Order: sequence, then structure tokens, then C-alpha cells
Amino acid sequence: MEQSLLSLRLKQEVIESGNCTRCGLCVGMCPYIKTLNERIAFIHDCGREDGNCYRICPRTPSDWPELDRQVFGQEREDHILGHYQEVLYARSLDKNIAQGGQYGGVVSSLASYLIDSGESQAAILTKSEDYGPPKPFIARTREEVLSCAGSNYSASPTLSILNDGLRQGLDNLVAVGRPCQILAIRKMQGLTEVPEHNLSARKVNFSIGLFCFWSLETEVYAFLKVKTGEREIKKVDIQVKYAVVTTEEGEVQIPVDEFRDFIRPTCHHCFDPTAEFADVSVGSTEYDPEWNTLIIRSPKGQEVVEKARAAGLLETKPYPTERLPLLRNAVLNKKRRVLDGVANDKGYEYWGLSPAYSKGIEEGGEER
Amino acid sequence: MSFLSLQSNEPGRSVLMTGNEAITRGAIEAGLSYAASYPGSPTSEILANLGRLAKEYNLYAEWSVNEKIAIEEAAAASFAGLRSLCIVKQNGLNVALDSLVSIAISGVKAGMVLVVGDDPGAHSSTNEEDSRLLCKVVHIPIFEPSTPEEAKQMTIAAYELSEKFRLPVTLRCVTRISHASGNVTIGEVQNVNKVAAFAKEDRFVTHIAYHQMQEVKLAKIRQIADTLPFNTYTGPEEAKIIIIASGPSALYAGEAVSTLGLENEVGVLKLGITWPLPEKFLLKYMKQAEKVIFVEEIEPFNEDNVMALAAQHIMEIYPIQFYGQKSGHVAGPKGPGLGEMDPDIVKQSLARVLGIENKVTVVRSSLNLEMPDTPGREMAFCAGCPHRASFWAMKSAVALDGRNGVVLGDIGCYSLALMRTGWSLPKTMHAMGSSAGIANGLGKLERFGFKQPVIAVVGDSTFFHSTIPALVNARYTSATFLLVVLDNETTAMTGHQPHPGMSNNAMGEIVEGIHIEDVVKGLNLPVVIQDPYDIKGSTEAVYRLLQTEGTKVLVLRRACALVAAKASTRPRVYVNQGLCIGDDCGCNRFCSATFTCPATIWDLQKGKAMIDEVVCNRCQVCVSLCPQGAIQVEGGTDFDC
Amino acid sequence: MTAKALNIIVTGVGGQGNVLASQVIATAAVDSGYYVSVGETFGASQRGGSVTSHIRVSQVKPYGPLISRGDADFILGFEPLETLRTFTVYGNALSQVIMNVRPNYPLGVLLNEDKYPDIPNLTNKLMTQTQKLWVLEATELAVGVGMPVGTNMVMTGAFAGVKFLPIPLKAYETVLKGLFAGEILDLNLEAFRAGVKAVS
Repeated sequence: MEQSLLSLRLKQEVIESGNCTRCGLCVGMCPYIKTLNERIAFIHDCGREDGNCYRICPRTPSDWPELDRQVFGQEREDHILGHYQEVLYARSLDKNIAQGGQYGGVVSSLASYLIDSGESQAAILTKSEDYGPPKPFIARTREEVLSCAGSNYSASPTLSILNDGLRQGLDNLVAVGRPCQILAIRKMQGLTEVPEHNLSARKVNFSIGLFCFWSLETEVYAFLKVKTGEREIKKVDIQVKYAVVTTEEGEVQIPVDEFRDFIRPTCHHCFDPTAEFADVSVGSTEYDPEWNTLIIRSPKGQEVVEKARAAGLLETKPYPTERLPLLRNAVLNKKRRVLDGVANDKGYEYWGLSPAYSKGIEEGGEER
Repeated sequence: MSFLSLQSNEPGRSVLMTGNEAITRGAIEAGLSYAASYPGSPTSEILANLGRLAKEYNLYAEWSVNEKIAIEEAAAASFAGLRSLCIVKQNGLNVALDSLVSIAISGVKAGMVLVVGDDPGAHSSTNEEDSRLLCKVVHIPIFEPSTPEEAKQMTIAAYELSEKFRLPVTLRCVTRISHASGNVTIGEVQNVNKVAAFAKEDRFVTHIAYHQMQEVKLAKIRQIADTLPFNTYTGPEEAKIIIIASGPSALYAGEAVSTLGLENEVGVLKLGITWPLPEKFLLKYMKQAEKVIFVEEIEPFNEDNVMALAAQHIMEIYPIQFYGQKSGHVAGPKGPGLGEMDPDIVKQSLARVLGIENKVTVVRSSLNLEMPDTPGREMAFCAGCPHRASFWAMKSAVALDGRNGVVLGDIGCYSLALMRTGWSLPKTMHAMGSSAGIANGLGKLERFGFKQPVIAVVGDSTFFHSTIPALVNARYTSATFLLVVLDNETTAMTGHQPHPGMSNNAMGEIVEGIHIEDVVKGLNLPVVIQDPYDIKGSTEAVYRLLQTEGTKVLVLRRACALVAAKASTRPRVYVNQGLCIGDDCGCNRFCSATFTCPATIWDLQKGKAMIDEVVCNRCQVCVSLCPQGAIQVEGGTDFDC
Repeated sequence: MTAKALNIIVTGVGGQGNVLASQVIATAAVDSGYYVSVGETFGASQRGGSVTSHIRVSQVKPYGPLISRGDADFILGFEPLETLRTFTVYGNALSQVIMNVRPNYPLGVLLNEDKYPDIPNLTNKLMTQTQKLWVLEATELAVGVGMPVGTNMVMTGAFAGVKFLPIPLKAYETVLKGLFAGEILDLNLEAFRAGVKAVS
């Protein structure tokens, strides 16, 4: 279909087709796109032929080799985990953080270190209220970072608030986000066509990517409410077989299969579950709830982790050698499923892989 | 307009008055006691004026909740022996019609005059409507003034006629009477009965037997009509060509005749009373005429009635030929009967009938250079209008909801939302309160597979006028829709008249206003109140309410910017042009071109936004919408941006 | 004055106060003993549409409220585009025109769909096509006397000042004194006088 207006293409190819990952970056930037209750919609056709919205969207064509060069200075060798310096186990040494956070509390720990040390002015996070859909939140202090601790599994358009930070005059921001969100930030940072634009991602000086194999539709919150008998939910931890929901009156276990219907279809098209363009990526270990998996990707990531460690806020230990193949396999399988989907679905245009990158995944490792 | 003229009570003095002021003065001179109206252009100013003069002239003036109540009240005062006045616009007569038909049947006692404002060309209406057709149905006489002076005289004459025949009498005004101004001579105020009593022997009821009485009354009035001074003839007594005109069209006809130099050939017969017709007067001139041309506004009312009269007397007046809307000869650029009359249309039509050249006498410069094109000017919500914010919030919520929500429009300033200033959001617009009625219907179609959310939009005055019965119906029949009341705390469209939700009345007295939310709560329906200037909060409120079943009400409350601006001490809003990236921004001039606020303008030289501080009402809504944060408020904003 | 009516058109954009200006002019004329008819379209007033008043002044008889095409003797234009629009339809080579140069861009222009006429070019053309043209920075003059919304009084003053109607300035000021009081009256009078001065 011939379609000249990029804004209309974003509307049709991404938002109305259900491909939108709800990263939220276009929302803050543009007065024509709005978000509410984790939904994203075009309010009015802007009529522009050209649009940063289309350029920065994680679901429009992305030049992955170029992004690698932009972020890491060179193309990747590892087609499964992307660029990285180290893969570690890590956890916070701050008791308050370790209690409130998910697993080892590494995200909260790094974000509050960056703010406390003055390296960043604030962090872009989400904050839950009564475990409904979380709201994007700009945390300017350690206390505010702590108030945001804990995982959410829905697709919160967190980055919609990044532009508010820009408007409030903030600079040097920490962005915490899903892989699609980190990709959007990197795409915006890579825009060279519009130097005069006051673009929010240019204010991000550190990005913490979260492992994400899928996110859930907003309706999951209503489902959880029903499943817990309307009790107040303190924490949700989706493990391999069960989701453990902590309420005031104890834990409720819900089989993971019951969540399958809530997985957002667009997540099946994602082959970046570990946030390959982040400075550091953080996830669960799928093994030891006291620790996080921490992938240090950029030199800046390395530097910040080292400083946090030196400040006594974080401890790390080597990744168990027997666990690494499991992580690699999980990522590889996800990527292959996506590529298989592309092959099977001729109408579906996947974005962004050079032949070398596709081949790298095809040949990427152990058995499928 | 200025109200200056009505402060004068010096008989004999000639002052400038609008038609509405002249009618006001006429009613006062006729000894008016009781006036009731619902605002509507072009006649709104009459009751507003009466309200201000109420104390001075010992009269009562009321903004009624709707026209049906207004006409019933005027009838009541007449029953009790007081001269009364009901003022409506064309559409208002539709609302009052049910009662008026019956009041005409029962008859009245003291003089009762009905002023109807028709709006040819729909300057400030949703339609063109000729109220004369309805008055014919009602069986009441119609006066049609041609000038403000005549409007005053006819008002007084209408009282006399009404009292004599115990019938309401209509004064049909068009916009070019009500809103036109001219010299009016002040007269004495009559000394008439001002003591109210319902006489023991009186009764006012409807019965089939009264139909005959109505016809008898009309037949008598038909004879009197011939003697009234308002029907005039100007031109050669033996003219073979006559123009029959009423209202301001009669003046245009006179001008057309003289401009075309036809004073010795063409006569102008002006009808001052257009129903029942002054038959003898008409026949006298038709007997000698060979060509009759009708000039009137909206429907071919005189044309039909006079041609019927002619058919009845065809043997006396033959040969004769009629020209008008029906023959297609009398037509403006849009076609016969469409839009208002003006001197040029009459001139053109006359030339067309006579087969002569419509001489263009415009003097043009010898250097007749081509002038630049003149782009049109669309109407828009005023600077700072809360409706603009409300419609943006509704548009946002409907888009975010994603189920193709249907927004239903209604009558008021917010009717402008049909244009680009409201992003053409409403999908229906009919009569006062119709949005809620239509929502009642759509809101029960789920059983037929209807899945779209429905929003009915009404104003605060419309809420009281005719929305409450629809809400009762909705509650009774479990209709699912959201009623959004755009409460700007006044009847804004027609010039800020008070309504039952406000704490003052037409006479400037302090009263206890009715809260819209109390009415809704009384029906046991959920109601939320929200400030529309807070776009984010309003969007959330609309979105949240759309997710629920049943009937619910959202009151978006914020005073009309034109009222609020007068008392405003809000901080200055300005564009920081250092932050605005102008045409380089992807916003596509959002603040001025998309949000269409007249105060956010474009600096074409710099290619950046700017605020016209002469126009800006400092609502701060644009501040929260600029993606660059370039629009700023001295001392910070009120809302979460 | 001739037997023919003098036809004056006051034109502008809703919210500029041109309706009040036309009422002041018309009232001053009535008070000075003339027959006056004013045709007003204020449905669009305050709502950004074109707002035009036709004022017809005669010593002989009342005229209808609308002026024929090409028959305006005087155009008092509160805004350049509206001045042009009115002149194109109602103006002629003998028309006299006062134009406030401050533009008010219509939506179509802001949307880049239409082009706003180039003002210097427009001024030049009007200069050659009319009997007389006065170009005024009326809004700036109003801001100068401390009443940005007083553009209408500056324009009224300019109209009074060029003496198109044989009415003394005092007649206009008397009307203003009936309309306003106190500080508001002083500001309006000051704006009116600034308009008179601008054309003298």
C-alpha cells in the first residue's frame, strides 16, 4: 500500500494494527498521540509527511548494525546476547532496596546510585498504585526510586513521561525500560536529521534495560483482582510455572498458562528479550530469587556498576557457568521463533536485520 | 445594542434603536406587565432589556426554562388581565407550538404579543425557518415590520388587535430588523391595567367548538387589515408592474426600483400584516397590474397566499402574471428562498422579470488592478473557551477508548464543534436537548449488536431547557451513555443570559441556583464534576466513565471565557520563542492551526508560535499541550501538564 | 450632503469591537439629526468570523439596512484582509478607506491552505483603487494609551477625525460619555483622541 504520510503509516502499520509495543516515546514528543490506561492512540491526524514518530518507533524499520555502531562503536559478534562486557549475578546491598525490589534490587540500586551521586538528575520509572496499571513516574530522589520498586508485567508506556522531564528542564536522566523502550531511546538518540529538535532521549545519559520475553495486556490487572478475591496486591512474580501473587493475606499461586491469553501479540514479534542496546540489562536469574542477572554492555555501564560496587551499594558474583547456556538458549529460541514467524508470514515485514545478523541467529548456537 | 436609547423616556425624541430595542420600547409604551422568553438569536436582547427596565416600568421579565413555559406564562398573565409578551426565535416557536395552538383556541384576555425572530441566512442559527407558516396553522395574525420604527409601532398595534380579538398576535422579525438599527421616535407610555385578577366569569379552554370562533375572528381581522397603516403602496397608481414585499425586503425593493430608474413604472406594495391578508388592498392594485413580483424572506408565504387570493378573484384581475420564488425569478446566489434578501438580489430579480439589463453603476479606478484573493474566515471557539478544551478531551478519550465512540451534538456555542474548531467531533445535531434523546436510543441498541460508546453533549442552559426529561427516560429504560454537560455557567451563545443554574435572574435579582449535579443525583444517576481546562483530568474522566454501563453524567464546569476574562487576574501566558521550534517541529503548528485558539497565532516572519495578548484569556490550556513546553505562564501553571 | 445616502461599512473580525464602533458612529449621526440605518451581522461576533456593519446616513429618509455591492462610500477596516474583502465587494474608485494594518490570520492561513495577502502590496493596490486611503497602526495606538482592546475607539476616532460625516468630534465624545464612566471612559476617550490625531 502506497502511503506517503509517515504519521499515517505509524498510525496504520503500528498503532491500529496492534504492533505498538507501548513504549510511549512518541506520546510525549507529539501532541497528536496520547496515552491513557496503557492505551496509545492518535487523537488527530497531524498531516505531516515526515515524522520523528515513525523514525523512532521500535516497530518501524531499524538498522541494527548501525545501532550497534552508534551505541557500541562496532557491529556485534554475539548474535544472541548482543554486545556485552560481562554477564554477572548481582544484588543490592541496601536492605530497603532488596526488600522492596524484585529479586536482587539491582535496578533500584543503580538508579538511586546515579541520582545520589549526581550523575543523573532523575530516573524514568513506573509506579503502581494498588497494583492497577502502573503510571509513568519521574523519580528525583532515592526515596522516589524506592517507591517505584517492583516488577510490572504490563506494557506501561513509561517513556511518555520522558518528554515531561525535558519540559521541566531535567537533564542526564536514567531510563529504565523494556527492550523495545531502550531501542526507541537509541533510535531517537541516533536521529541526525533534526539537530534543532529538542528530543527527550538526548537527555538520557544511562539506560537500564529489563529482560522481557513478553508483556501482558492491561486487562491482566482485572484478572489478578478476580484471582486474589479483590485483595490488595503487594507484589507479583511470574516464575517458570506459576505466578506468585503476594497479597496482604498471603500468597496466591496462579498457573502461568492462565496468563498466555494476556500476552500482547506484538511481543511475539520481538527478538530482543535482553535489551541489547542498554548500558546494562537486568533480569531474573530464573534460579535464585536473591539475585539478578546483570549484563554489563557498554563501557559506561561497566563504569557505573563498578562505582556502585565501590560505594558498597551492589555486590556481584560470576554467572554460574552451567546457567549461561540456559540463558543463551532461551534468548536464541525466542529469536528463532520470531524469524520463523517472519518466514511463515509473508505479509509481515520484520524490521532491521542485515543478512549477517539473520545468519548469525540462524547459526547462533546449540540445538533448537 | 448600547442600551443608551432605552434609558431615554422623552416622548418625541428620535433616537437610534435596534429593532429589538424598538420592540422593547413599543411593549413598554403599550403598558406591558409580564414578559417571558428563552434566549435565541436574533431576538434575545428584548427580554434582556425588559429585565433591566423592569423596576422602572413596573413589569416582570423572566428567562424561562424553555419556550413552552414562556408562552404559557405569557398566556397566564393575559388571562389575569395583564398585557404580556413572549419572545422566541424561529426554533423556539417550534418548542412553544404545542401550547400556542391551544392558547389560540382558548383565546386570551389582555393583549398578548408573540415576537418571533426568524433568521434568514442562518447568521446565528442551525437552519432557516419561516415561522409565518406555523402562525397560519395556529390561526393568529402576523405583523411584519420593515424598520425599527415600524417594529415599535406594530408592537403597540399588536396589543390593541390582540385585546380586541382576544387572540395572541405575532410580530415576525427577521435578523435585519432585530439587529438592524434606525431612528425611532419615543412615545408616551400608555396607562393600561396593571392589576392582575382571574375573573370569575372567565375560562380559557380548548374545545372543537372554538374552531369556528377562530375562523370568525380571522375573517374580521381580514377586514381590519385593509385599514391598517402598515400596508402601504408607493409608486404610480396605475402601475402595470407591482412588487409585493414585506419586512426589510420592502425597502430593498424601493431601492431597486429607484436604482434601476423604474419609479414611473413599478409600484411597491408593502404588506405590514401578512396574515390574514388585507385582501381589498391587494386586489385594488392587482386589478390594474399585469406583472406581480414577490419579494420576501425564507418561504414563499405571501406568494402562496396572494396567489390563492388571486385565483379566487381571477376573473376580476386577469390578465396577470406572477413572479417570485416559484417561478425562479426572485432568487439570490443560492437559489429561490435560500439565504437572506438584499438590495442586489432584488435589483437582479427585477431586471430578470422585466428583461432589462441590471445596470452596474460601480465606479472603478482606471487602473483596475487585480486585487489579491481573500481567504475565508471560519468561526472558531473564542480564546480560552472551555468548550475547545472539552472537545479535545472528548476527542482524546474516544480515540483512546478505541471503540469508535459516537459523540452527539446539541444547540449552543458548542454547535461550533461541527466545524474545524471542534474537529467536527459531533455526529448528530438537531434541536435543543436532542443529543440526550438520541443517546437514549443508541444507548439501548446493544441487543442489536451495537458496541460503540455514546456521548451526548449539552450545555448548561440546554440541560435545563429540555435534557432533564431525556435523563429521566434514560434512567427508566436503562440506556447506556455518557451525558457531558458543558457547564460554562451562562447561556453563552445568545449573549450570556442567566438560567436556572445561576444565582441571578433576568431582572438582576439574586436567586438560589439549581446545581446540575443535584438534579442528576435526584435521579440516582452517577455524576462527576471536572474542570475542562485540566485536559488530562477531563480526558481521564471521560475515558473512565465510558468504561461503565448505564447512564452517567460528567459536568465539565468552567465559566465562559468571555465572562471570566472580564474579572480575570490570571497570570500572563506567552510563547518562549527560544523553545518553540516553529515549523521545524513535528507539531504542525498545533497550538494555532490544530487547536485553533484565536489567541495562539503564528509569527509568519519568524516561523514560530506567538500569543496575541490582546485576545488571550489566559486559560493555560495550550500550555499543557505544547510538546516543547514553549508556551509558558508567568509564575507557573495551574495544571498537571 | 447629497440626497443619496452616505454608505459606510465598518468591518473586522469578531471580538475586535467593531459593532460598538458602528453604534457610536450611528448614534452620533442620529443625535446630529440624520436618518440612520445600521445593518449588523453579529452572529459571528466574538467567534472569530468576519463581522460587518453597514451604516447608511441620510438627510432625507431611512434606508434599508444593507448597502448594495459597489456602493460603499467609506470603509472603516479593522483588519487588512477584512478591509480587502469588503472593498472587493462593496468598494469603488471613489471609496475612502481607513485600514488598521494589524493582521488576524484565518484558520486556512494558519493551516497553510490559504495565503494571507501581502500587506504592503495590498496597501499599494488599495491606494490606487480608492479615492483616499489612511493606513493606521490602530492596535499599537490602543496599546499606547494602555488599552489594547481599545482598537475600536482608535478607529472610531480616526473615522471622526477625517470628517467624512459633517459631525463635530464632540458629538462622538458625547456618545462615549453616555456609554462609559470613570476610568474606562477616560481610556476610551484617550483612544478615540489618539485615532483623531493619527489622521490629522
